[in-house]
Amino acid sequence: MLARENPFASHRLHGLRFRLPGVDWAGLERRWHELGRRAAIVGPEGSGKTTLLEEWRQRLEAAGWRVRLWRLTRERRRPDRARRPAFWTVPAADELILLDGAEQLSWWAWRAWLRRMRPAHGIVVTTHRPGRLPTLLECRTTPALLDELVAELLGGSSPAVRRLNRRWFRRHEGNLRLVLRAWYDLCARRPFPPVVSCPASPAAGQKAVCDRKVA
Amino acid sequence: MSAPELRIGIKNDQRSFRPGETLRGAAGWQWDQAPESAEVRLYWRTEGKGVPDVSVVAVVPFEQLAARDARPFEFRLPEGPYSFSGRLISLIWGVELVLKPGAHAARVEFNLSPTGEEILLHR
Repeated sequence: MLARENPFASHRLHGLRFRLPGVDWAGLERRWHELGRRAAIVGPEGSGKTTLLEEWRQRLEAAGWRVRLWRLTRERRRPDRARRPAFWTVPAADELILLDGAEQLSWWAWRAWLRRMRPAHGIVVTTHRPGRLPTLLECRTTPALLDELVAELLGGSSPAVRRLNRRWFRRHEGNLRLVLRAWYDLCARRPFPPVVSCPASPAAGQKAVCDRKVA
Repeated sequence: MSAPELRIGIKNDQRSFRPGETLRGAAGWQWDQAPESAEVRLYWRTEGKGVPDVSVVAVVPFEQLAARDARPFEFRLPEGPYSFSGRLISLIWGVELVLKPGAHAARVEFNLSPTGEEILLHR
């Protein structure tokens, strides 16, 4: 199967909506306000924290907020050199700061960064373990959640798909990102995955491909 | 405010282009207000296993916008990269109309290569 046809291609994964566990957006935002608008989304790797934060960013921007989103990973524990000054720039009072991967900062860097972000209207971070900010939401994965996501991507499900989900869920210890990559590889090797039907390529969305200026 | 109706098309519905050729088309919209900005972008993007990449190669901005409008556009296509698909990555060319506020968009995609067809790395 060609990459553009693969149901598990990254652009298709980005199109999946986060499934809020037992709370709706209004409830989540209410709790965030109750926590002084400084809070953390906590969960292990591949549990949807980044998806949730990205979706939240879109909601906040659509509501007219100025949002700064930073993403730190094990491979890139600090922003690029060119963007580093902006990472440390003291925000305006009407700005919201989102930091994905707060655990990548050392304790000292975290304290210094948090101090500089103090004027911001609100801060949300994601982290693997609780402790950096009050926990707003704990992200957890389940085999049922995996079944739901895979069924959405494949346009259906089957007992074979669910068996594979169970096996890979155990093998990757609940890391859905890794399970979905395994699905990608399987689909890349075979003309069709073992499902009821193979979905067509996604239709062109109504979202701009890129907001980047001319290269 | 309702979402705008956007349309974009390539002249003669052509989907195969060679490097250096000129792509001509038209874009139009209907909204309950004149957009703050409207432009057509020529881009390529990747799809596949890795982090998607995207590059906007050229932009045609429109001026003096009306709530209901239609504009022609044209791009001289670059030498590359070519449209291709393998198991891990596909590179896809397209033009998209983007209206602001709200970054509403519509797009149409095409192939760019010496043969005008997508280059397939695996069958």
